[in-house]
Amino acid sequence: MGTQVKDVIIKPDAPSSLFLDKHADYIAAYGSKKDDYEYTLSEYLRMSGIYWGLTVMDLMGQLPRMNREEIIDFIKSCQHECGGISASIGHDPHLLYTLSAVQILCLYDSVDAIDVDKVVEYVKGLQQEDGSFAGDKWGEIDTRFSFCAVATLALLGKMDKINVDKAVEFVLTCMNFDGGFGCRPGSESHAGQIYCCTGFLSLTGQLHQVNADLLGWWLCERQLPSGGLNGRPEKLPDVCYSWWVLASLKIIGRIHWIDKAKLRTFILACQDEETGGFADRPGDMVDPFHTLFGVAGLSLLGDEQIKPVNPVLCMPEDVLQRIGLQPDLLS
Amino acid sequence: QHGRVKIKSTAQQEEEKRKEREKKLKIYVAARDACFSKRKEGIWDDEALQLTQQLLSSNPDFATLWNYRREILMHLETVKDEDEVQKIYEAELSFLESCLKVNPKSYGSWHHRGWVSARLPRPDWARELSLCDRCLSLDDRNFHCWDYRRMVVKMSGVPVDQELAFTDRLIGSNFSNYSSWHYRSTLLPLLHPESPEPPSPCRKSPQTSPPPSPQTHSHRVCEEQLLKEYELSAWFYYRWLLGRAEREEMISCVYVSRDEERVAVAFSRPVNAQSVGLLLVLDGQPQRVEWRSVHPRFKHSPICDLPPGTISDITNEHNLTVHWTEKHTHRDCALYTGRTESYCRDSATDQELFRSELSVEKTSVLQSELQSCNQLQELEPLNKWCLLTIILLMRALDPLGYEKETLDHFQTLKEVDSMRSAYYSDLCSKFMIENTILKMEYAEVRVFSISDKNLTTLCHLDQLLLVTHISLSSNQLQQLPPQFAMLQCLEVLEADNNCIGNLEGLYHLPKLEEVYLKNNKISSLADLQPLASCPKLKRLDLRGNPVTQTANIGSELAELLPSVTDLLL
Ligand SMILES: [Zn+2]
Repeated sequence: MGTQVKDVIIKPDAPSSLFLDKHADYIAAYGSKKDDYEYTLSEYLRMSGIYWGLTVMDLMGQLPRMNREEIIDFIKSCQHECGGISASIGHDPHLLYTLSAVQILCLYDSVDAIDVDKVVEYVKGLQQEDGSFAGDKWGEIDTRFSFCAVATLALLGKMDKINVDKAVEFVLTCMNFDGGFGCRPGSESHAGQIYCCTGFLSLTGQLHQVNADLLGWWLCERQLPSGGLNGRPEKLPDVCYSWWVLASLKIIGRIHWIDKAKLRTFILACQDEETGGFADRPGDMVDPFHTLFGVAGLSLLGDEQIKPVNPVLCMPEDVLQRIGLQPDLLS
Repeated sequence: QHGRVKIKSTAQQEEEKRKEREKKLKIYVAARDACFSKRKEGIWDDEALQLTQQLLSSNPDFATLWNYRREILMHLETVKDEDEVQKIYEAELSFLESCLKVNPKSYGSWHHRGWVSARLPRPDWARELSLCDRCLSLDDRNFHCWDYRRMVVKMSGVPVDQELAFTDRLIGSNFSNYSSWHYRSTLLPLLHPESPEPPSPCRKSPQTSPPPSPQTHSHRVCEEQLLKEYELSAWFYYRWLLGRAEREEMISCVYVSRDEERVAVAFSRPVNAQSVGLLLVLDGQPQRVEWRSVHPRFKHSPICDLPPGTISDITNEHNLTVHWTEKHTHRDCALYTGRTESYCRDSATDQELFRSELSVEKTSVLQSELQSCNQLQELEPLNKWCLLTIILLMRALDPLGYEKETLDHFQTLKEVDSMRSAYYSDLCSKFMIENTILKMEYAEVRVFSISDKNLTTLCHLDQLLLVTHISLSSNQLQQLPPQFAMLQCLEVLEADNNCIGNLEGLYHLPKLEEVYLKNNKISSLADLQPLASCPKLKRLDLRGNPVTQTANIGSELAELLPSVTDLLL
């Protein structure tokens, strides 16, 4: 019944330097495999997939390699009558993909390609009586969607269109004994959810509501001997959780509480030297999702080959400067 | 996208796989297109249910298909009688069960199950609860299932103690089950709003006796258990149990200065200065003042300026009240004739001030917990959880008396858990600052001196609103953060021999006259910019800083800081 510390061992021959060119080639080629079975299976999240790919390309200074016109046309064709945006053509609109689409359009400085007022109406319409947000008209409630809602509106400069006080009140009811946050009131803390909720509180100017010392302790305890971070106690380390934990620590001003050099070693070991791209753990299959969070994590750790990334919105800082959006961070 | 191990394969294997995937792709695309076109035509029939079922069993994250199924089911509700609807929904639940077996972590499947359960004409919550039991017995950390369980419990009114007993069982079979400890943390306050359960990580198994009260618990240390295991989950929970006391929200200090005609307010917890709803009443008259924060990057400490001439005449006496309308609380402050300033605040040696980590009313309980932990620590001197807990208990019991032991334990912690040494340094700094504030308050002085204590961070600056002299020399500070602007009475700052490169917090400090920053890391004129906002600055010591090497530094500084008459470079 005892529990061992779950962790991975980084082999001595694991990659220890950064292969940016390979990652750019990997992402550039990814979108051209449109007839691939696996690619088709992930159609339900295509819009987010494009956001992951474009953001990591922009962070690596390679955005011009992507097909801007095609992508903007695609986004236009994914906006629905209700204003919401779907993952792909034929799919239903959802807050997750509405945010991804708006993020992409911000990277391309072309939010006017879609009907912005309708997006705002869509987001507003999903706020519930208790301040929470449903992901779409089918009513699933999750603090992830609270983040999607305020992030979308912040990027569009329309935060005043929703009831921010109520939204904050709801997110705070999801705060737990360990200082973290879960999906809904009573749900267990989880690094992905903590990222969404601290990001939400940053965008709404309410970070002082966080117990930063307690939450920061829980977050820095996510670092395992391999240097990687897990998303919850007693789980394996993962590149994407490394990003969520690291970004949350950055938001609450406690990023120095982890061992940065060890985390960097772990993230670099998750690269695939042959194909390019990052996997969740060393030796696993790569994908664009972990590739973004690997590169973004290295950026937060201060790697100067990569553009600085904003911890709240996971977008290049220069893009946010252009928009004039500077989310709060605790010092 | 998680946990797929990369496998090397031969060219022939690759080719076979490629062909197989091509075949699968054709079938998949055909089914998908059929679904989409049927939906477009508004067809809600059995074939559509079958097609979506086929796709969702292999790809339950295809959210749009669940939406389509819900449209079909809602349509069927309008054309079938109740028994038929019951049957259709029961079939949906068994389909979902098969989906969850294959993919127990699909948001879409769990949400759909909740949706179906809520629409079932005759719901069977007992079955849903046992489904959760089975699912959690396979993976006791599946948070989707835990969340679904909480919904079922709520819908069907399962009593809290029954759920608490359920967590007992799970913890009994796996002591390190964070999800169960978490669930307990949400259940206990419902069961015992006032008195928490006694601490647990030192006990072998969860209690089989009735829910305990603070007086009836035992402190048996199970060395065997703790030596063998890494009781991570339990220790998190333990820290929470010890620290459940919340501090009341109130105005902790009101300060008024005649010279600046300014009022500053500090709170017991951070609140947003702009949105908090403060009302200032002066001699019975509500004042139209504009509350602002002391620093643009630190919004939790409001100050306001009174209209010129309101209180400047030293021969007048004034009575001020600051009302915090939101919390229905207020604080009065009298400014007497001949006085240039006045303040009103919480009693200086308030025991609760810094013990928010741990609740104080349970001193005897904490004392025996400390004994238990000390025994454990003898057996296992490098157990970091135990060491940290001992530190917290010592702080709750007697922060000044245990100061030396606390410092020693922090030293050990930094060595045994070096990845988190910065956390321990910051926590230790916080405790040293708290102790220094306590000492200052006992001595009833307005001088705060904390030199040579390895401080890596500054905190509780809102408690230093009244301090006139501060000495922070010979520490490891890297910055004077925005919160430093809280020190509205500060006249002299000594911070020699640190690593300070950032003076952001030396911002509009109205009384600051002398600043000693010898041997720090100030490297550019821009770093000194905040000082230009301090109107009374006269003496500035910058010896031993890189900035002194800048060309024309003397004349540049004379321009930047014209009030400084005594500059040491
Ligand atoms: Zn991952």
